Amino acid sequence: MLGDITLGQYYPGNSFVHCLDPRTKILVTLLLIVAIFLAQSVPAYVALWVMVFFVIAISKLPFLLVFKSVKPLLFIILLTLAMHVFVGQGETVLYQWKFIRITQEGIAMGIKMSMRLMLLLMISSVLTFTTSPIVLTDGIESLLRPFRCIGVPAHELAMMMTIALRFIPTLLEETDRIIKAQTSRGADFQSGNILQKAKNMLPILIPLFISAFRRADDLAVAMEARCYRGGEGRTRMHQLAYRGGDAAAFVFGIAMIVFLVLLRWGPLAAKL
Amino acid sequence: MSIELEHVSFTYSKGTPYEKEVLHDISLTIEKGEFVAIIGHTGSGKSTLIQHLNGLLHPTKGKALLDGTDLSGKTKEARAARGKVGMVFQYPEHQLFAETVYEDVAFGPRNLGLTEDEVEQRVREALQFVGLDYDALAQRSPFNLSGGQMRRVAIAGVVSMKPDYLILDEPSAGLDPGARRDVFREILSLYKKQGIGIIMVTHSMEDALQFANRLLVVYDGRIIMDGKPAALFRERRKELQDVGLDIPEIYKLKDALRAKGLAIPETVTDTASLLKEIRKRKGLK
Amino acid sequence: METKQQAPFIDIKDLSHIYTDTENNEVLALDKVNLAIRPGEFVAVIGTNGSGKSTLARHLNALLLPSEGTVKIQGMDTLDETKLWEIRQNVGMVFQNPDNQIVAAVVEEDVAFGPENIGVPPDEIRQRVEDALKAVGMTEYRTRAPHLLSGGQKQRVAIAGTLALGSNCIVLDEPTAMLDPQGRKEIVGTVRKLNKEKHITVVYITHNMVEAIHADRVVVMKKGRILFQGTPQEVFSRVEELEELGLEAPLAAKVAFELRKTGMKLPQGIITNEDLAQALA
Repeated sequence: MLGDITLGQYYPGNSFVHCLDPRTKILVTLLLIVAIFLAQSVPAYVALWVMVFFVIAISKLPFLLVFKSVKPLLFIILLTLAMHVFVGQGETVLYQWKFIRITQEGIAMGIKMSMRLMLLLMISSVLTFTTSPIVLTDGIESLLRPFRCIGVPAHELAMMMTIALRFIPTLLEETDRIIKAQTSRGADFQSGNILQKAKNMLPILIPLFISAFRRADDLAVAMEARCYRGGEGRTRMHQLAYRGGDAAAFVFGIAMIVFLVLLRWGPLAAKL
Repeated sequence: MSIELEHVSFTYSKGTPYEKEVLHDISLTIEKGEFVAIIGHTGSGKSTLIQHLNGLLHPTKGKALLDGTDLSGKTKEARAARGKVGMVFQYPEHQLFAETVYEDVAFGPRNLGLTEDEVEQRVREALQFVGLDYDALAQRSPFNLSGGQMRRVAIAGVVSMKPDYLILDEPSAGLDPGARRDVFREILSLYKKQGIGIIMVTHSMEDALQFANRLLVVYDGRIIMDGKPAALFRERRKELQDVGLDIPEIYKLKDALRAKGLAIPETVTDTASLLKEIRKRKGLK
Repeated sequence: METKQQAPFIDIKDLSHIYTDTENNEVLALDKVNLAIRPGEFVAVIGTNGSGKSTLARHLNALLLPSEGTVKIQGMDTLDETKLWEIRQNVGMVFQNPDNQIVAAVVEEDVAFGPENIGVPPDEIRQRVEDALKAVGMTEYRTRAPHLLSGGQKQRVAIAGTLALGSNCIVLDEPTAMLDPQGRKEIVGTVRKLNKEKHITVVYITHNMVEAIHADRVVVMKKGRILFQGTPQEVFSRVEELEELGLEAPLAAKVAFELRKTGMKLPQGIITNEDLAQALA
């Protein structure tokens, strides 16, 4: 059933991280991503893993859930690892056969790069697991607002995302119904070559497009009737507000960066 | 000839946190030639039920059979059996897709692998059955027709498959009284002339009383009543009202008359005989 | 009749509406319509598809503008662009398809959409949303996703949206056409309650006679014109004319009409079963 697809991957909860302002979560996630890119040495990676586990723990998310977020990109992670391991750069050659060249530096680099990807995926999925798409939209709109003067349509983008969030379930239901209706008229979506298959999709796609346009039309009229006239002079019921927790989160993000900068370039860096 | 459900249960989203059993142990036999009305609240499970009758949904437990063939099978026979049961969804005009009325109605017959001559024959018959003029409409775009006409084109698209059973989910929803009457006239003539089985989901008790010879009441995933409409309205009116379902207006009127001491016999179920009865009581011809 | 002298809330004079259809023909959708609606009145507009009733509805909050004639809302002309937003705040619209008029993915956010658009301060929006949801009995659903609600509940959210905007008149364009009987009851009940208790002016467009039975006045339209109007008792007693239009009079009115035809003496204005039983007793 198409209806089973849940939208986004919000995992409802009441943890410290769930309750943070969405802007804080977006910005701190960016800080942590920068921190991940700063990591070079083994201690730095250890620190990052500890950080990710700490964040997952205070988000009260099941660890397995967050680990699973790596799955869609598992192939790319393994490919990255393989590339570095088998066509490695560096002096310390462990094994060489034709173009395959395994070096100690290559192995180290492969592990670092794939870890970096895993850390990135996990930390950004903590953001989407702890923030509902609607709140996330509010956060993005609010963060983009200062860029309006250089032509970033912050309100329009946010409104489009909101409407998409609202209508995706409706359109999924509709798709399900159209597929069933055409199936019961003997439609076949499986057989034939690619061209044939594409053609077989028309009885689903055409009604779906027509319906989407009709809905868009109705919605535009309904929005106009409710005094919608763009972002100008608009207020919001839910005002975003930074609280004590948000300050703590920022301090945490900046501390991570400072720590990793010190690990890389600081007085200890030479010894590591 | 019959569709049979044997102890059918159905669970949505099995194995997820949203898991929910919406049909509980339903057994039911529908013969060809019956006109069955299915009534129930939104969410009672009636939509899920009808989708089992043509294999769009497969029972989680139990079996759905057409003349002994399991409708959920993957065999050629199962596919053919599913083709014997046509399904007209709610607002079927929203599934129209072709450039012309002809092409849309021909979609089903072509999928059956008929020759172009046979397809044309089927399209002609189907349009005639729903009361549309082949010569005037066949080459027009279905999207420029009136709401009532679009609905009938969509119904023709299912009728052209020549099903033995036709399931209709609220065929008159959203139509004005005139277009409603037209659609029901076509359905009734289809039933009478082709002798196929009709299974119609409706919210209207008047329609059930007027057209169906069997009424199924679905409540909370179970069939709580099954019988002749007039008999059910006569004997189990109270129960129907208790589960929040309506009864036909004529029964309400009769109840109101009885409350004022004017008892009308139970056999009276249509306006004409009601008038006759009132005149008789009042000493008029 | 003191109310008759009150200035009309909606004042339509010689309203015509002409549009060009897909095949480039000019269509006269409204033909010199005159209608005045008092504040607090409950007016039902009935007619079949193509009678112009939906076009009329869209003139009432300047979604459409007159080709000829004028539409005035509390004295404000819909042609006056400076009054556009004030008119739309005053006259809320509820449309037929419950799925296609809800904007936000959370009920309370959707109700807040209108007041947000006109720049109401956040605290006041919260208050308005709370009041509006309470008035339609949807408070407990405030944080739900609209696509999980029933049709009747979605339409009540749409009604709440107009209330939060501050509308003292609601125009409903076939609000129950896509609902089940349960949903119909919910909407009819909600609208009657708002009209009675909050004195909201209601323009209720439908082709279902039973829903018009509680209106103060019923207006019958055909081909862009008002054919006749009056109390439900007056209108529904014209059984033959209604059937000619493709509309259905309530059963009691039909039975009374047939009985009268064969010489039975019955009082005028029988439209409910109870009226008929009383008259025959």
